[in-house]
Amino acid sequence: MKSQTEYKLASPPDGAISAVKFGPNTSQFLLVSSWDNYVRLYDVTANNLRHKYSHDSPVLDCCFTDAVHSYSGGLDNTLKAFDFNTTTESVIGTHNNAIKCVEYCSDVNIVLSGSWDHHVKLWDPRTPMCSGSYNQCEKVFTMSVCGEKLVVGTAGRKILVWDIRNMSYTLQKRESNLKYQTRSIRCFPNKQGFVLSSIEGRVAVEYLDTNPEIQKKKYAFKCHRIKEDGTEKIYPVNAISFHPTYNTFATGGSDGYVNIWDGFNKKRLCQFHQYHTSITSLSFSHNGEVLAIACSYFLEEDNPPKPYPEDIIHIRSVSDQETRPKYSTTSN
Amino acid sequence: MGRKKKKMSKPWCWYCNREFEDEKILIQHQKAKHFKCHICHKKLYTGPGLSIHCMQVHKETIDKVPNSLPLRSNIEIEIYGMEGIPATDLKEHERQRQGGNDSGSDDEPAPKKAKPEGLLGNAPGGPQHPGMMPPGMMPPPGMPPGMSMGPMMHMPPFMHPGMQMMPPHMMMQGQPGPAKPLFPSAVPTSSPGGAVVGADFKPISQGATISAPPTTNQPAGSSTPGSDKVPLIASTGASSKIIHPVEDISLEEIRARRLKYTKVTPQKPEEPIPTSSSAATNLAIAVSAAQQAAAHQAKQIDAMNHHAAMMQRFGQPVRVSGPPIGMIHGGPIMSPMRPHMIPGPPTLIGGHLVRPPPLSMPPGT
Repeated sequence: MKSQTEYKLASPPDGAISAVKFGPNTSQFLLVSSWDNYVRLYDVTANNLRHKYSHDSPVLDCCFTDAVHSYSGGLDNTLKAFDFNTTTESVIGTHNNAIKCVEYCSDVNIVLSGSWDHHVKLWDPRTPMCSGSYNQCEKVFTMSVCGEKLVVGTAGRKILVWDIRNMSYTLQKRESNLKYQTRSIRCFPNKQGFVLSSIEGRVAVEYLDTNPEIQKKKYAFKCHRIKEDGTEKIYPVNAISFHPTYNTFATGGSDGYVNIWDGFNKKRLCQFHQYHTSITSLSFSHNGEVLAIACSYFLEEDNPPKPYPEDIIHIRSVSDQETRPKYSTTSN
Repeated sequence: MGRKKKKMSKPWCWYCNREFEDEKILIQHQKAKHFKCHICHKKLYTGPGLSIHCMQVHKETIDKVPNSLPLRSNIEIEIYGMEGIPATDLKEHERQRQGGNDSGSDDEPAPKKAKPEGLLGNAPGGPQHPGMMPPGMMPPPGMPPGMSMGPMMHMPPFMHPGMQMMPPHMMMQGQPGPAKPLFPSAVPTSSPGGAVVGADFKPISQGATISAPPTTNQPAGSSTPGSDKVPLIASTGASSKIIHPVEDISLEEIRARRLKYTKVTPQKPEEPIPTSSSAATNLAIAVSAAQQAAAHQAKQIDAMNHHAAMMQRFGQPVRVSGPPIGMIHGGPIMSPMRPHMIPGPPTLIGGHLVRPPPLSMPPGT
């Protein structure tokens, strides 16, 4: 109840929130996966819970394929699809270990699941079956779709770039420019590159084009750190979400802060107030006017704070001032 | 004494007495270290500029230049690089340079300088490594000079002098690490180690190989990923702490592991124990019932398919009646399932009936 620009979502999940995702063409519906085994669909404008369906174990990620269909996966190794019109769910397939990420590539119309079994699998939503399984050599921690490209971040600080139309070989294999474990990767909506965050309060801006001239533009910066009587606490940067049109992005850290950055001009555009606990997931709505902010304590510290922080989703309307680049950036 | 003259001509920072190879770097240093707004991290150009910015934008007064020596904190003097330094201070600096060796004059220049030299193997002067590089060249290539000491610590200190001879990938590793100010203005091109640029991008070009060294997230010298033990996250030094469990696995894996030992295990026993709390068990029962039903259904469908396949082999006459049979089958197959599921709910209801007494307790108290 901070102000009118921000409110808490009613009937939040009973466990840590693993992912929040806005629908593809409205800012009314928000899909939420949680460690309480449920995937929920919220009507954000009416502020109520519309549907929920369950997995056998905590759900680690979910995504929309269109306004009424969702896919989700988690510790039960199972990829499920749900149709909100008919409220029917179906098991699409399985991995040999937990499914950590689920993404949808609209350009190719394919659902992708990334797992701790080191594989990414492709699923055709029209004939729900696996259309390919691809070894990533390490546990998949995060992935993001960039047009027809897929950027996968794995354990061991590896980054793999694939062409979803031709998965027969890896387009690029890189090592993260950050020294610590990769936490999240999200691609620029303009498809030029991606943003990568690590557990050590740092974010890197990277370009897909391997031309050295382009590669010179990459950089990294520190963020999500709090200085407290002499020592600096460095927090994991758990969440990244891009503004769909401005190419600016929000990062959320275990410090409870959300920052919005202009990656091309190397500027921070704004910082919101500190939330009560870690930010685990962020999602801009399709038009970039609303930002969903998931807050859950994520066992970062040896001793959890008392009382144990609640799981809350904040819905915040963001202004142009907070999200638009300050300088005119027409083309890069 | 040609060396001294060379040193004399080096640009230095009035605010902290640090010397630089190049005035450009000095200016970068001043912007990052002394003229940066502590609120929005904007880099201004001069002390007065910073003060006006803070006053106008944040309504805050700044009375001292950040990170400056006690007597050099005057915010009103307009200094940009070497321009604007009071003449007396310029002379004094020169005098000190010429006076004792750099370690001799103990009032200011020592602290910043002493550290890198200490790392080199604490030779105060140059004799130990005469040819390698001029002693004044402290910021290793690729590192913005304004960096704090913290990040340096997790690089092996002895590496510094050899920086130029190091394989290029070390550069790569170094780059993201050092404390670039919020958004570093120092792009690789401006670094003195121009020769290694290009190698910087080695791991990216030419597709399929990862040519970067096997960097573990561990301090140099300890074991590599091959070992079975979960690697630990390297600490960042005494002055900072990463808020993350020490094991270098994702927070989700840690949470999953923890969950396995706590929450999930009580869920596993599927008989309805009246004492166990409601939702989880009910859910488990429902799920198991559903699974049984699903399995059952799958079996029946299998059987049906088999049946259909068999019938197909019989040929035309039977197949004419095929579709209706299929339809009829659809019904019967669904219906036997229902009674099968019913055994579930009664037990659930039983569970509920058992529980009301305890539930009614709280309101009473």
